[in-house]
Parts: sequence; structure tokens; C-alpha cells
Amino acid sequence: MTVYLYSLLNLPTLPGMPHTHAAIADEALLSLLQNSTQVWRGTHCARIKTCASGYAPLDAALPGGGWPVGALIELLPACEGIGELRLSLPALKTLSDANRQIVFVRPPHTPYPPALLRAQLSLQHIVWISADSDEDARWAAEQTLRAGAAGAVLLWSDSGDDRHLRRLQLAAETGQTLAFLYRTPSARRQPSPAALRLRLRPAADGVRLEILKARGGHTAVVQIPFS
Amino acid sequence: MLWLCLHLPHLAIELRQPAPEGFAAITDRHGARRVLIACNESARAQGVFKNLDATVALAREPQLQLIERSRSAETQALKALAGWAGQFSSQVSFDAARWLLWLEIGASIRYFGGLQTLRSQIAEGIALLGYTANIGIATTLEAAALLAVNDQPMAIVSQPMLAQAIGALPLDTLALGPKAHSALQASGLRSIGEVLALPAAALSRRFGLEATDYLQRLLGRQPDIRAPFRSPARYRRMFEFTQSVATVEGLLFALRRMLHEFQGFLRGRDTAIQTLQLSLCHRDAAGTQLQLHTSTPQRDAVRLFALLREKLERTVLPEAVTQMVLAAQQFVPLGYTQADLFDDAPQHDAGWADLLDKLRARLGENCVRYLGLADDHRPEKAWCVQNSGVATQLPQDFPDRPLWILEPRLIQKLPQLLGTPERIEAGWWNHEDSCRDYYLARTAEGARWWLYREAATQQWFLQGLWA
Repeated sequence: MTVYLYSLLNLPTLPGMPHTHAAIADEALLSLLQNSTQVWRGTHCARIKTCASGYAPLDAALPGGGWPVGALIELLPACEGIGELRLSLPALKTLSDANRQIVFVRPPHTPYPPALLRAQLSLQHIVWISADSDEDARWAAEQTLRAGAAGAVLLWSDSGDDRHLRRLQLAAETGQTLAFLYRTPSARRQPSPAALRLRLRPAADGVRLEILKARGGHTAVVQIPFS
Repeated sequence: MLWLCLHLPHLAIELRQPAPEGFAAITDRHGARRVLIACNESARAQGVFKNLDATVALAREPQLQLIERSRSAETQALKALAGWAGQFSSQVSFDAARWLLWLEIGASIRYFGGLQTLRSQIAEGIALLGYTANIGIATTLEAAALLAVNDQPMAIVSQPMLAQAIGALPLDTLALGPKAHSALQASGLRSIGEVLALPAAALSRRFGLEATDYLQRLLGRQPDIRAPFRSPARYRRMFEFTQSVATVEGLLFALRRMLHEFQGFLRGRDTAIQTLQLSLCHRDAAGTQLQLHTSTPQRDAVRLFALLREKLERTVLPEAVTQMVLAAQQFVPLGYTQADLFDDAPQHDAGWADLLDKLRARLGENCVRYLGLADDHRPEKAWCVQNSGVATQLPQDFPDRPLWILEPRLIQKLPQLLGTPERIEAGWWNHEDSCRDYYLARTAEGARWWLYREAATQQWFLQGLWA
């Protein structure tokens, strides 16, 4: 006999059910779980859904072996033009090849089509959303993430408001979408609900990544060479 | 023929959106008297009812707000309802003076899965529009109306049952003129059955030809021919506010009803729209025009409402709104896009199209851009913005390019240059001659720039970032 138990233990107390009864029921379930060898416990190995970053040293350092899908990824480049966008391109190419849309929300500059094509992205799958304000941009990114209709969303936002970031994180979770958020390097000192936070610094022939935070993983420093 | 009649006993007050607050009643002039013709629920709870004299009503509820009747608004409302009813029947007619709407349902019963299902669908639909309605079903128009006015749930589906079924109903609900009614009263007749038992010749002698004609039509002994409502080629629904509305929230009630009516209209014609206009009129300022374009044909009221609401909330009203007009000129079959003949853009799934509509509604029609290549050697002219994504190939051996392209900006302090330059010469054919040497450079911070030196002026410009 196979019994699948996922989140039964976390079920809310039923209305009208005294708390003590609920606790007894919890205990009974726990002992059932612990004493049965035929029960697979989902909490033991919470798998992270990921998408390979395309850089072996980075994939090795990230929990689940790639960019987490359905979670906010925060990128904090030291300055513009150090390969901060290039870092995401192999993953975006995978999505583009799978006919998924890649949405740039209020990028700071124009994404240059010849360069995108050289990275083997299909222009049919690159969507550029312009917005007048940071608020509009966050709203558009949130809607896109939540709808789950796009493969990836890249957002450039200055907002350091924890609630704004939480909304994005939640939307990414709901839509199970790859979500990159580009922020200024000073944001490093603020706490963030993002599942993954990376600080980017220029290196001689590539970029140096400092994993500031990785849910289910460890902090690390990774060097990525660009050919 | 089987007729379903909708009687809207509170039409005159329910058509007002946003609904008047507190105690409110609609009045009509009968000579020098003002008589209530409809009241809202809170007024009815205070013992104020239809046909009551306005002065008496005010004595019962001094807070009562009296609103003058607008016959044109009633007709507009019924016309819109007739359009909405087209989804259930191909033969619809209405009587604006009596607040009645008829649908021939004999032909559509089977399609809708039986009389009860159809009836409850219509009842739910009309409730969604915010109207109270009583339904009567009978084999003649007037019998259906009589049942609806008396709120009789039975359905008279065969002619022989008719006279007996309506016989017990009160006499004063017959649609006769006041003269005929007082004559009936005076003659001592009390129920419809007693009137119907009289010979036709005697009836017409005593109560006039009009009354006999009505009774003959009621019983189906004479044909009852009405001009059927024809749904217009273009849709236009005008809505007048009793008091001008200053906030967007105030417009939403009316808009929601309008869109549900519109959905019924579109269903009746088995069609959809991609473009919709909403005009807001003000007392003095020029009208506010909103136009909605959807990427796929739409007819869902909830979805259209969400999109228009998004647009409205982003609109600054110059003044309070006195009138609102919803209009659609072009209709498209549901499930096909308008421009799909030469459009080789991929067919997006429904979720994607909905998302784009939502984004466009709030951020503007041009907020969603796709990128393309343009046939020009000058980097700033080698790309373009497009409305839809088109599959594009880069020419072979195209040199490496930065991911961000910038408007060229003059730089004073030159960073460290790397590698050999790439010369780009173009524009000589239209006197925009330019000859540039492009370099990859590395700044002190470690950023990689794309620079060029203009050959003519020897000035340096930054044009790209290797992001």
C-alpha cells in the first residue's frame, strides 16, 4: 500500500475543533509517519525547480543546479556594462527555444536586437514593456509573473520597499516564472525576500559573482569567464 | 409560438446607476398630480409604494427623494435589454410604456435544454444586470404579460388551458384603458373569468372595440402582430446620469451593466469585438474618449470590464460625467484575429493575449514592443520597434555587438581601448555621411563600453554597453 502525504500536517485547525484535539491528531499523524516505512515524506527533500544558468561553475554553486524558477532572483551589478545581462542569456535562450516569451520590463537602455540575435534569442520571443514610472513597471512585472504566460521576466526597479519585493516574489511563485530583478549595488545592505541574491563585480575576462543569499543553499563566490 | 414575458416592475428606478441612496422614488405627472411610478427598496420598506400620490408619500417619508421620470431613459434601457435578450431568442419585442419585454422561446427551448433551464438562465441574466423582473410564459403575448404582471410562475404551454388559467387573476391587471376599467368595475364584474364568459358582441358594445380586440389577442383568437426588435448593425448604448458623476468608481456600476448587456448582444449575434469606444460627456468640457483594442476577439463582460476599468482609473476626468456612451462598429468572429492573413506572429495562448490586453489598458497602447532589424549599417539605425514579433535572422558573420544600445553621447575622458577598431561608413547616399571607428573599451570601474571616433571631427562617443 502506498500512502502519499504532502502537507497534511500543516492543515489549518478545522473550525469548531478544539486546539487540543488538533494537537492530538497531529501527534497521531506524526507517529504514523515515523513508524511506517512505506510513507514518503515530502518535507525531507524539497526539490527546487530550476533552469540551468548555462555556466557550469554557477550551476554547481546554486541549490538545485540552476536559476530557481518561480522565485525572485536579485542581481546587484556594481555598475552597468559588466555582463549583468549576459549572465542571464543562456537561460533565456533555453526559454526562447521552447517558444516561451521573455519580457523586459522598463530596461534602462534599449536591448540591441543584433546582440540578442547573436545570443541566439528569437526576436519573436523578446517583449519590451515600457512604463513611465517605477510603480507601473513593478505592476507590469507582477502581472506578467502572476499570469505565468511568459517564460521569464526581467525587471529593473529602484524600489527598496520590502512589500514591493514580496509582491514580486509571490507573483513569481504563483506564475512559476523565472524572475530577474536588477537593482543598484547599494540595495545589498537592505534585507530582501528574494530567494537568490547575487552581487556582480567585474573580473578580468568575465564577471565575479558573490552569492549573498541562496534559499536552500550556501553563500559562495563564483568566477564566470566570458569567451 | 411560446412567449416569455419579462415584466420589470421597478424599471424606472433600477435603471438609475449608481443607485440613488436613501429613500428614492420616480414620479410622473398625472395632470396636476405627481404620482409615484417606482420606488427603491428602502422607500418600499417605509410603506411608500407605486401609484401613491407624491404628497402622501412625502408625508409618510419626509426624506424621500423624488426624481422626475425620463421616458427616453426607459426606452433606452429596454432597447438595450432587447439587444441583450437576442442571445436567447431571435424574436424579441418590447413595450416601453408598460416595461415589458417579450422573447419568443418556442424555437430555442431545445437548444437551451428545456423550459426550466432557459427560464432560469434568463432570470439569472436579468438579475446580473441589476433588474428585478417577473417572468410569465404563455402562448400569447398578452397572456404572458398578464402572468408576468401578476408574478404567476405557471407556464401556459397550450392554447386550451389559457382561458381557464388566467380566469382567476384580478381584473385590474388587464391591460385596458382607465375608461374600460371603470366600466368593468361599474358592471359588477370581479374576475377575468367572468369577463371572458361574456359574448364578444356584448363586450364590444359595453366596453368598446379596443377592449374586445385586446381580449381576442389575449386568448389567441386574433393574431397579435408586433414589430420585432431588430438588433442594429452598430452598437451604441447611451447612459444618462441623473446627477453627474465625479469619480471613476461612480461610473463603474453603469459600465458593468452596459458590458453585460453588450455581452448578451454579442452572443445573440454570435460575434465579438476587438475595438470598443467609451465616450464620457461633460457639461462644459470636451468629451473624454477612451478606446479599447484587444489582441484577440472578446465578448466576455467581466474581461472587458476589467480592461476598461484599468483604462478609466488612469484617466483624468476634466469634469463630472453627465453621460456615458458605449459604442462598437466592427464585429469579428470569436476565435479569429483580425489581421491573421499576413500575420505570421505565433498564435499566443489565451493567457498571454489577456496579459497583453491588461498591460496595454493600463500602460497605453504602445507599451508592448517587439524588436526587429532594419537594413542600415549605422548601428543606431540597424534596429526598429515593431508591434508584433517577427522571426528574424542575422546576416552571417555579423560582428559582435553590445546588449545595450545608447543614444550616442559625447565623452571627454577616454577609457582604455581594447583590440582593433571596426570601421563603419554609411549615409553617403543621403548626405548623412558618417565614417566611424568603433572600439571596445574598458573603464576604470571595469565596465565594457562600445565607443566610436567620428572621423571628421575626431570626437569620441559612447554608443553601447556590454551589459
